[in-house]
Amino acid sequence: MNIEIDINKKKKPTPTVQLKICQFHFYYGAFHALKNINMDIYKNHVTAFIGPSGCGKSTLLRTLNRMYSLYPEQRAEGQLLLEGKNILEASVDVNELRSRVGMVFQKPTPFPMSIYDNIAFGVRLHERLSRGLMDERVEWALQRAALWDEVKDKLNQSGMSLSGGQQQRLCIARGIAVKPDILLLDEPTSALDPISTLRIEELISDLKKDFTIVIVTHNMQQAARISDFTAYMYLGEVVEFGETDSIFVQPKKKETEDYITGRFG
Amino acid sequence: MNQSEHTSKQFDIELEDLRSRVLQMGGLVESQIMTAMEALNIGSEDSVNRVLENEKQVNQCEKDIDDACIHLVARRQPAASDLRLIMGISKVVTDLERIGDEADKIARRARAIYARGVLNIPQTIDIPSTSQKAVLMLRRVLDAMARLDAPEATKIIADDKLIDIEFSAIMRQLITYMMEDPRTITTSLDIVWIAKAIERVGDHSKNIAEQVIYIAMGTDIRHRSDALTS
Amino acid sequence: MDLHKKRKLVNRIALMLSLGAMAFGLFWLIWILATIVKLGVSGIHLSVFTQMTPPPGSAGGLANAIWGSVTMVGLATLLGTPIGILAGVYLAEYGQNTVLGHMTRFINDILLSAPSIVVGLFVYTAVVLPIGHFSGFAGILALAILVVPVVIRTTENILRLVPNSLREAASALGAPKWVMITQVTIRASQAGILTGILLAVARITGETAPLLFTALSNQFWSTNLNQPMANLPVTIYRFAMSPFSDWQELAWAAVLLITVGVLALNIVARSLFKQKIVS
Repeated sequence: MNIEIDINKKKKPTPTVQLKICQFHFYYGAFHALKNINMDIYKNHVTAFIGPSGCGKSTLLRTLNRMYSLYPEQRAEGQLLLEGKNILEASVDVNELRSRVGMVFQKPTPFPMSIYDNIAFGVRLHERLSRGLMDERVEWALQRAALWDEVKDKLNQSGMSLSGGQQQRLCIARGIAVKPDILLLDEPTSALDPISTLRIEELISDLKKDFTIVIVTHNMQQAARISDFTAYMYLGEVVEFGETDSIFVQPKKKETEDYITGRFG
Repeated sequence: MNQSEHTSKQFDIELEDLRSRVLQMGGLVESQIMTAMEALNIGSEDSVNRVLENEKQVNQCEKDIDDACIHLVARRQPAASDLRLIMGISKVVTDLERIGDEADKIARRARAIYARGVLNIPQTIDIPSTSQKAVLMLRRVLDAMARLDAPEATKIIADDKLIDIEFSAIMRQLITYMMEDPRTITTSLDIVWIAKAIERVGDHSKNIAEQVIYIAMGTDIRHRSDALTS
Repeated sequence: MDLHKKRKLVNRIALMLSLGAMAFGLFWLIWILATIVKLGVSGIHLSVFTQMTPPPGSAGGLANAIWGSVTMVGLATLLGTPIGILAGVYLAEYGQNTVLGHMTRFINDILLSAPSIVVGLFVYTAVVLPIGHFSGFAGILALAILVVPVVIRTTENILRLVPNSLREAASALGAPKWVMITQVTIRASQAGILTGILLAVARITGETAPLLFTALSNQFWSTNLNQPMANLPVTIYRFAMSPFSDWQELAWAAVLLITVGVLALNIVARSLFKQKIVS
């Protein structure tokens, strides 16, 4: 047993598949936005979607928690297997799904309530916790989002009073407070300054121990820095999907190469 | 290599500049070896001096190009083929600089031999032909570098074998000489150093060829090349 | 150079024209306010708040009219606001692009710009005539009908200002739509909605026409909403048109009261809205 491990030490253990995307198609009305997507999202890893604007990377991300079902003209086909169960089925309770697949948006979206209530809001939707347990959960989430030290003395202040970077970490804390399996990040740092961006990136690397993370980013270097797997998308298709290391050093497709080296177009 | 251009033309210009500077350095190193061999063949003191003088220029080239690589990495965050090109070039210049050092060594040994008097040179040894092979190999690898021609680089790696074989032959010959006539030992040892230097030129050229393959294809064949060529 | 000089000249002319227009408007406004204050202040005594509207020639106050106005405006607001807010929420959150939504919005716009006398006449035919007498209830109803469209419009507009990302963020946490609306979007726009309500109150406080046909007036203190009720606008209307100078004086006092009241409401509404923008 030990010997075997030693032999395989250099090889990374094969990660577990958390979410399997199979023959997935997506439509905005008549527009075929995503074409035959097949991809595995691995547990406790960071997967990044990159590609030029309008390539469908955000669209794909927003299907993973069925965000699109807010909009009646949007339609999905195929399979999104979350631990073997197709989340596209009508029988799946969307709100319960979203307690398992959390999401953080491009612009920080603190709710118009106190910092404490911002975190507790999501938890209250899915769990009945005593005041004490809720306090613990709020602290845990804020700690995990590396925000606790900055806000612990002003939990009753409005979430709007925080700086942009803090607000975004508040949103991440709010997302993880529900204890989802997967955390979807839709360009979470595009509205932030470089230092706040680095903090969030640091946070993401830390959070993947507990959560599976999928991130959409315009910033290729960011994808290179923080992700384990990268999907390059173009015109609604996944051009190349693989380990970030190989995508950024030795991409297999010329389209990927052109995009990541800045030769696109 | 990718033929299409970067969205940032300035980046294209900088990369192109980097490549042409490496090729220029390669040309300089090549002429260094040839001048050093000239010094050995005809015993020209002038050639020796030229090699020693140009060596400083070679060293400066290495520093400049490395510096340019670091700046490109810092400013452009290159990826994929661009990254491989820049990292590869940074290694290629090290090998080129070492080839320059070998030229320097050859020139110094040549001067030592002629200072002692030409009479005792073991004439039958085929140093010139081996050196020509090494110079040709260097020229071909620079060519392959210019075109990022991986198949050609693979062939060059195979050719290094021939130089190694010739080096062994020269060694055997020199040992025979030394055993036959101990008076030739000093000069023979100088020749051994020169032969070793030529053999090293082949090795460095092989390293450059490996970098060319890495830059062009992204496959790292270092320490596997024996398997690849035999 | 010439071009720039010309632009400067045009700029100066435009600026002067705007300033002139502003001065023209302000001139009348200040004149009106000055007149109201000049004529109204002399009529304001303690008795205005304690005594009933008098018959001509005897001393009196406006107590019953103030009470009637406050009661009817308050009850009309209580009646109209929930309807307005709920309908506004429907339009902003559910009926954005539905046929029913478009229809409601269109009808509401008509209602919003309908002259208040039309509303008064409507309530007169629909309520006063069948019952057979004027009443406070009818007045409240007429005022409520005026409140509703204002509140609908402001609620919808304010809710639409709430960024969609906030709605998505709530949904992304697994919040059902009603939780999202009650806890997030309405909360985010509560200052704006309150502003809308205050503006509606300010509007109905000065309305005369609908009350003339519904609550009419009452010379005595009355808390019975089933009876005609005194109120400031109708009192002003009657007293100001009368030939008696003591009635006219009371009318001016009432005008001042209403003006100050509406002004105060506007100021509160504005400061509330500003707070919201700042936060």
